[in-house]
Amino acid sequence: MTDPLNSVSEMQTPLMSNEASPSDYRRINLKIFLSILGGMLLALIAIRLFAMAMGASGEAFIGRPLGALSYLPQIVQEPTDQVMVFGSSMVDAGFSPRQFDRELKEQGVDIKSYNFGFGGLNPYFQDLLARRIKEHYLQNNKRLKLAVIEFNPFQTTQTRYQGSLAAIDAYFGMLSNEQERFDLLLEDPTRGILVYDIKYLRDSVSAEMVTFYFGQAFRSGRPKPNMEPETEAEVARRRDVNDKLEGRFEQDFPDYVNEPWSFAWQGGGTIPQERSDETVELIHEYFASLRTEYRMQADKLWRAQSADIIELNFEPILVESFIRMVKEFQQFSDAVEIIMLPKNSRYIVNSPEALARQQNVLKQIYQATGVTVRDFQNIPEITPDMYSDTTHLARYSGDVAFTHFLAEYYGELLKK
Amino acid sequence: MIFNTPIFFAFFLVFFFFYGFVFLKHKPRIYFLLIASLVFYGAWNYHFIPLLVGSAVADYFIAQAIFAAGNVRHKKMLVTLSLAINLGILGLFKYADFVLESVADFMLLFGYQANIPTLAWVLPVGISFYTFQSLSYTIDVYRGDMEPRKGLVEFTAALSFFPQLVAGPILRARQILPQMHQFSLPSWHEAKYGMLLITAGLLKKTCADLLAAPVAKAFAVQESVSLLEYWTGVLAFAGQIYGDFAGYSDMAIGIALLLGFKIPLNFRVPYFAVSPVDFWRRWHISLSSWLRDYLYISLGGNRNNHRTRNVFITMLLGGLWHGAAWTFVAWGAFHGVIITLTHYLSTLPIFAAWHSGNGRGIMVIKWAITFYLVLISWVFFRAESLADAGQILLAMHGLASVSLPIAETVQWIIFSLVVLAVGLMHWMDSGILKGGERFVEKPWWFWPLMVLAQAVCLLIGAPSDEFIYFQF
Repeated sequence: MTDPLNSVSEMQTPLMSNEASPSDYRRINLKIFLSILGGMLLALIAIRLFAMAMGASGEAFIGRPLGALSYLPQIVQEPTDQVMVFGSSMVDAGFSPRQFDRELKEQGVDIKSYNFGFGGLNPYFQDLLARRIKEHYLQNNKRLKLAVIEFNPFQTTQTRYQGSLAAIDAYFGMLSNEQERFDLLLEDPTRGILVYDIKYLRDSVSAEMVTFYFGQAFRSGRPKPNMEPETEAEVARRRDVNDKLEGRFEQDFPDYVNEPWSFAWQGGGTIPQERSDETVELIHEYFASLRTEYRMQADKLWRAQSADIIELNFEPILVESFIRMVKEFQQFSDAVEIIMLPKNSRYIVNSPEALARQQNVLKQIYQATGVTVRDFQNIPEITPDMYSDTTHLARYSGDVAFTHFLAEYYGELLKK
Repeated sequence: MIFNTPIFFAFFLVFFFFYGFVFLKHKPRIYFLLIASLVFYGAWNYHFIPLLVGSAVADYFIAQAIFAAGNVRHKKMLVTLSLAINLGILGLFKYADFVLESVADFMLLFGYQANIPTLAWVLPVGISFYTFQSLSYTIDVYRGDMEPRKGLVEFTAALSFFPQLVAGPILRARQILPQMHQFSLPSWHEAKYGMLLITAGLLKKTCADLLAAPVAKAFAVQESVSLLEYWTGVLAFAGQIYGDFAGYSDMAIGIALLLGFKIPLNFRVPYFAVSPVDFWRRWHISLSSWLRDYLYISLGGNRNNHRTRNVFITMLLGGLWHGAAWTFVAWGAFHGVIITLTHYLSTLPIFAAWHSGNGRGIMVIKWAITFYLVLISWVFFRAESLADAGQILLAMHGLASVSLPIAETVQWIIFSLVVLAVGLMHWMDSGILKGGERFVEKPWWFWPLMVLAQAVCLLIGAPSDEFIYFQF
């Protein structure tokens, strides 16, 4: 083998001190400079073309929250009093704004509520989203009558935070404003430049996100419970119901445009009254088919692995983000409530140490915000057959029951 | 400021603009290079800049004093002072807590609970590299291998030269100081070779980052890890540490070439080694040759029938250089044992023919045995503790007490991809070693492939910490 560096060093290289003139220097350095710039530019164009060809964009990863933000100019123009229920996918699945509004109307309260529940966003990202919502409300001199903020312990763990790191810079770029990005640049130039790079040069698609996306195929599957898997009959039943449900929505709502964020239903879904009895029955059957013992145990294992749902080792960064988020809402809301949504306690049973840690965090939130966290995790109104898995309420049963509970709970407050 | 980040790209463009077009005279250029290097270093933690500059200033004046000293005793005192300063700084920042904790653990063995307070100081990045580099200067002057250079700023700029400051290669003063004095203009050919090395380094770093996931799984020592996943994890770590470190070295050498500095290669396809000694001729060459020249030879080298002892001490300290933990000591000791064993076996008549044989079959067997031993050594290097290392080694050989789950298809796919990644890195390096120079002369291949490789590096990646060798 030859030694390229030794052989390189043997070549004739003019020396600045005695051979190369300043113009020699400038000429070769210009070639180097332009090669570096040109090469990087072409490489960036190549990855933009690749992203375009794949139909990939950063927005696709957080379409629902960005969609919600795009509807905010319309939302703040609504003349009626407003309630916003803000939180995770558990809110998304468990709160029905249209039902809430109907029930409140029956109580004599004219209100418009919104489901601002977003899957995949931990409090760090929710805090950024809350700032954007606040900006719209303050600019339009509008206030929320009531903000109901979900504290989701499962979204606030160290495990959850670690799991979000692949997307943190890209999401920050999409959810932050110019001032926040500039502040980050001054505070942490390394990360600041990275965020600018991802947002403006890479169309919000970071290398980590691409790797995460393509790497999914090579990850080991979800953990499997040590028990008999689902029977063929159980799988067939679910497939059969799913087939029957196919196309039902388009039949019931032929004119509906499938928006990324369902503004038509105020961020939530339809309500049973808007669907045929047969469809509602099929949906009940579908969710029942999801609740096999094997699936529930597998879901529990997966959430323990991906969110530390049993032991709840909290991440201080996320707790602080949550507190900041509550303070954001306090600036444009007449009343702010913090709640914990129901969890499927047949499967999710926290250790005493986890509950002690949770208690400490709730205390910290109260001390920082002055708001008591209302624990609805085990309310009797919600039964185990109202879930689609170990954490999310099922549509048309769980969300109906919980929305009814909230309407009853906050009815008096909203009458004031 | 890591080479594969946008901030370094921005830093380098600004730096290169001034370096290449504005500061063309020697004196302002040296000052500018020094300031840029200190900015680069300070981006991690500017509090340690005085330590770096202090080391340089101390060794600069000590070297002058050694040269001027009238007798050997005086010279010896001065070089001892340099050793004490450099190794003292290293010891204080890197090894003090390890020693204190080990003393406490040792006393606990005898039932004595010692509450020894630790320093818990932050380790200055690159300290192991620049102290060794600085030491080589005073030792070389002491040995009469070189004369001290005039120019404190030039010496400090050489010691803090940013391409290789934080993770090597470890340069000898006699390699870098003359170049710092001359400031060569790189030829266009050299510049292109530099770009080739930078791109190869970026590709290796990308590979290394992608290999992190299977490594983390195997070294977490969980019950749900299969035998195949253990092997995959250890092989992936072999690839990760190589891609990470050799990648950084390549980028450092490439960047230096663009600036007109020539730094010797630090790796030569090490996993193609056919003996443990051969491995160390190919792996982290700047460290292994430093240890050979300044430690092994100082201990007596092959003379006085102490070769075994000297090899063992050298490898043990080489292990400890990487980190203050018993796992690194065990890693160094393991390499000491296999090198010594190789030497011993080569003296036995029964192995003599084998030792000198270079037929294809024999070479493949030698390679397989060497690679297996290197893989075993990486277990010590990466494991969190010696107990973990023991458990992983047992599990890899099917001797774990727990029943290992059966490998799934996806695990075989991951294993194949890891083999492919490690193989590709070596194939690429082998290609650069053999034909890199010819390749840069073929513009229709060179430029499109450079852009494509850069695009691949920009497109994929995984969240990772800094380069692994920064912690050493």
